[in-house]
Amino acid sequence: MEREHDRRPDPEALLALAGREGRGKLKVFLGAAPGVGKTFAMLAAAKRLKSEGSDVVIGLVETHGRAETSALLEGQEILARKQVSYRGRELEEFDIDAALKRRPALIIVDELAHTNAPESRHPKRWQDVDELLDAGVHVWTALNIQHLESLADVVRRITGVAVRETVPDSVLQNAEDVILVDITPAELIQRLQEGKIYLPQMAQRAVQNFFTPRNLTALRELALRSTADRVDDQMVAYLRQSAIEGPWETSDHILAYIGPDDRAEILVRAAGRMATKLKASWVVVHVERSGHEETDPARLKRLDDALQLAERLGAQTQRLSADDIVEEVLRYARRENATQIVVGRSRAGWLRRRPGQSFSDKLVSRARDVAIQIIPTPEREATRRAFRWSLNKPKGLVPGVVAATAAVTVAVGTGEALSIVIRLPNLSMVFLLAVLACAVSFGLWSAVAASLLSFLAYNFFFIQPIYTFTVASPQEFLSLLVFLAVAVFTGTLAGRVHDQAAEVRQRAQHSESLYDFSRKLAGAAKLDDALWAAAAHLQKIVGGGVAFLIPEDGDLQLRIAWPPDVELNEGEMSAARWSFAKNEIAGWRTDTLPTLVKQFRPLVTPRGAVGVFGFEPMARGEAPTPEFERALTALLEQTALAVDRSLLIGEAVRAAALEDNERLRTTLLSSLSHDLRTPLATISGAISTLRQLRNRLPPEKSEELLASAEEETERLTRFIANLLDMSRIESGALKARRDYLDAADCIRNALERARKTLGAENIETSLAPDLPSFRGDAQLLEQVLVNLLDNAHKYGGGSRIVVHARREGGEAVITVTDEGAGIKPADLTRVFEKFYRGGKADGRKAGTGLGLSICRGLVEAMGGTIEAQSPAARRRGTRIVLRFPVAEIMKGLPA
Amino acid sequence: MKQRVLIVDDEIQILKFLTTALEASDYVVISARTGREALHMIATAAPDIVILDLGLPDIDGKEVLAKARAFTSRPIIVLSARDREMEKIEALDLGANDYVEKPFRIGEFLARLRAAMRIAAHERAQPALFESDGLRIDLERRLVSRDGVPLKLTPKEYDLLAFLVRHAGRVATHRQILLNVWGPAHAQDTPYLRVFVGQLRAKVEAKPEAPKLIITEAGIGYRLWLAE
Repeated sequence: MEREHDRRPDPEALLALAGREGRGKLKVFLGAAPGVGKTFAMLAAAKRLKSEGSDVVIGLVETHGRAETSALLEGQEILARKQVSYRGRELEEFDIDAALKRRPALIIVDELAHTNAPESRHPKRWQDVDELLDAGVHVWTALNIQHLESLADVVRRITGVAVRETVPDSVLQNAEDVILVDITPAELIQRLQEGKIYLPQMAQRAVQNFFTPRNLTALRELALRSTADRVDDQMVAYLRQSAIEGPWETSDHILAYIGPDDRAEILVRAAGRMATKLKASWVVVHVERSGHEETDPARLKRLDDALQLAERLGAQTQRLSADDIVEEVLRYARRENATQIVVGRSRAGWLRRRPGQSFSDKLVSRARDVAIQIIPTPEREATRRAFRWSLNKPKGLVPGVVAATAAVTVAVGTGEALSIVIRLPNLSMVFLLAVLACAVSFGLWSAVAASLLSFLAYNFFFIQPIYTFTVASPQEFLSLLVFLAVAVFTGTLAGRVHDQAAEVRQRAQHSESLYDFSRKLAGAAKLDDALWAAAAHLQKIVGGGVAFLIPEDGDLQLRIAWPPDVELNEGEMSAARWSFAKNEIAGWRTDTLPTLVKQFRPLVTPRGAVGVFGFEPMARGEAPTPEFERALTALLEQTALAVDRSLLIGEAVRAAALEDNERLRTTLLSSLSHDLRTPLATISGAISTLRQLRNRLPPEKSEELLASAEEETERLTRFIANLLDMSRIESGALKARRDYLDAADCIRNALERARKTLGAENIETSLAPDLPSFRGDAQLLEQVLVNLLDNAHKYGGGSRIVVHARREGGEAVITVTDEGAGIKPADLTRVFEKFYRGGKADGRKAGTGLGLSICRGLVEAMGGTIEAQSPAARRRGTRIVLRFPVAEIMKGLPA
Repeated sequence: MKQRVLIVDDEIQILKFLTTALEASDYVVISARTGREALHMIATAAPDIVILDLGLPDIDGKEVLAKARAFTSRPIIVLSARDREMEKIEALDLGANDYVEKPFRIGEFLARLRAAMRIAAHERAQPALFESDGLRIDLERRLVSRDGVPLKLTPKEYDLLAFLVRHAGRVATHRQILLNVWGPAHAQDTPYLRVFVGQLRAKVEAKPEAPKLIITEAGIGYRLWLAE
């Protein structure tokens, strides 16, 4: 069992494989130097494929006018290049959009390390290739070994030529296939001399220096080695996927610790090389000492750059914060199961440069189960660094010096005044006070200025001989020196306190503004309110215009912009869409569409991106500071949450409305079902009883059953008639006549019918003698009145029913009043809704729930209104009021 | 002695014809038109069987059912115009013995009434031995045999069969079976139950592809066939 389990394919290996499916495959033709024949080899292979019938397209190939290479292009489909004009120059670039549109099975794109013309979609060609692969297109490309990121500084050291165009190692690592195109250095040099290698960008002398046998041999070795490593990797990957048993080495895990200094990059590259050599995974860590966060923008930038480089070289990166850096590094190493820790040799200040005191020494002495690699790094910046901590904030220099001058002037005055009053042996204390005051209020620089000024003033005003800068006795000279030292020392201390206090204040301000922001957002339940609040706040931070884009109907739409006249052009919209789709930053100072003036950031929530924030930075040329970055990230997180919340609220409201609708429909259905089934139950029950039990029933019981069946048939007929009426009213098929009506006649007819069908004997009428005439349909009015009487009879509980008709201004008013339990105020309008009945769907009095809504339909068809009032009198009863506009029979007609 | 039937319905016409039909079939009929009245009469008039409408003017029939089940085990047949499956399942879960939809024919209704009474009598007797269609289940000795040949059941299969035997003739809902045989954690695992019933049928039915003993009540539950 155990063994079988061990031999299962490694799930991670399978996952990596699965991740690659659906993505295009990359084949790299790798060479040691230009001119080895990569393009030729690539085209020859492509031609073979094409002749076998594959869908091959040449995306971009440089033949440099070589006939044998051009010959290979014959018969191939070649994509037109994109013309880009930049600063008056016409440049030709690979057309990625055309490639994506054409979507061949395989596309050839030469010179992977090429840098695209400004304003292209991606700055680098390898990013174009990446997008093609993402789109599922297979790509063949060519690359020289010197362009590989991790080898860039090795190549520089070997050849003395700096490599500017680099390709991340991951591109080569993720390539499906790497083909080494190899010729010997001697051959290559011969080809160069024959003029077969086209190298326009290198000066002749540089070419001579580059193409030496020594360099070429070294480069060739590099190329061969990395290809060999790859073959090894592929073998291991294959073994793992296929669960073939070992022996493959247990993998190393390397942890590199870097600081924000100039050695960071060197350390990262060294660790990267080690990791590649050991086939180890690696992580690059930086630990900040809590309370001593780095604030110098230059150093922060260096740290960021180093961490980014590490990511490009395939490392994971981590920033940590702890009091004890050594302990934290070791703790993290244990957690991550690191087998090696890579650090640079420490350059502690000379005070701490004793055995066992430096960072690397401490690490070595405290590490138990992990190997420590100390990378030698050039000694530079060391002396500058010793003072750096104290000189990092020359902000507010001018007011500081002015204040120092003022403080020292006051000190001189005070000293003079004091020396008149009392004779003091030493007045230096007064100046010390001035230095301290400057330090506390204006920081370190002011303190240093004050101590220098104090030194001079004290010497000038109070040291014999007075009013000269000369010092008479050596004793005085010594005390002056001590004074200066004390002044600088205390001033420095106080200045640091001041600086730290200022920093704390700044942080407090930052968190307060964040708090303020989140409170504003919390108050905004609606999406637009939240976005307006966020836009106004963010605009202040970024300086330029800001915009929020939210997806509507499947596409991003500009929802809110501040200032409101901000508009987005087509390029900006596509950057926004890209950012939304990929969940990454696009536009200004990114890898995607970097020439835009705006940057777009996705609003990310745990559910995914909910929108995009776009902004125009105040100063286009400057990189955003880390503080700006931090503030913006924090604010956008808040905004994303607020947007998400308001979207969720919207969805919840819609869901609730749907649910209400659903409930209503269910009620309607069960109500209809009850109203149809109940009379049917009686009819079918009575008839089947008669059939089955006729012999055992006394004749009067049989008669009763038949009467029941008949009654229920009538009830069913009424119900169906009502349903039909209702659908006629709703479909607009009902046409009311517009005759002049005699209301009294209609009422009398309705009463007659009601008495007959309902057996209601308790109906009273009160008809005004001057009852006016109005227009309508006699039959419909009669039906309305019968329905109302039927209702009054049913819900009035057998009480008295009064029908009243009179004139009120220009209206004829007819009311039907009962003395039943009445209607709740909330239901007064709802009683006219279809199928509305008090109580449960099938638990109330027999009725259709249609009576009043049919009444309303009929009355409105005749141009009148209907209204329910309750209580009608003495807290009981319901009154239904009908009003019709009076239609005067034209005067002057013969009576 | 004549059986007493309590009819609970607020529709006069239905009360009328049911009373006529039941009296003609030798039952004594008493009636109630509200839920409260019904509960009072179940408690005081000791009917042998209750016919209960669900749409009552005061309290819902299902509530009447739940309250009545707290103090009586007499058969209760629900008679309702509600035709949604969920309503039937809920009523059966609450302890109704059968569910008759309106409209109905009196012949079928009387047959269901008789069956409910017979099953109730069977349940009250709690026989330790169940025999039907060649299958013999001895609840005391936990033995199952078909045509004299002992059958091997897993403990759960036996529990399932025993539960159906104890409720022979009436519908046991999925929920009731799952709660009693597998416990509250599995009250919703209907597909699981379906698999078990399939296994059980393969062992106890003469023709598992055309089951005669364990009868499926589609969407509601299972019923063990009880010979007349």
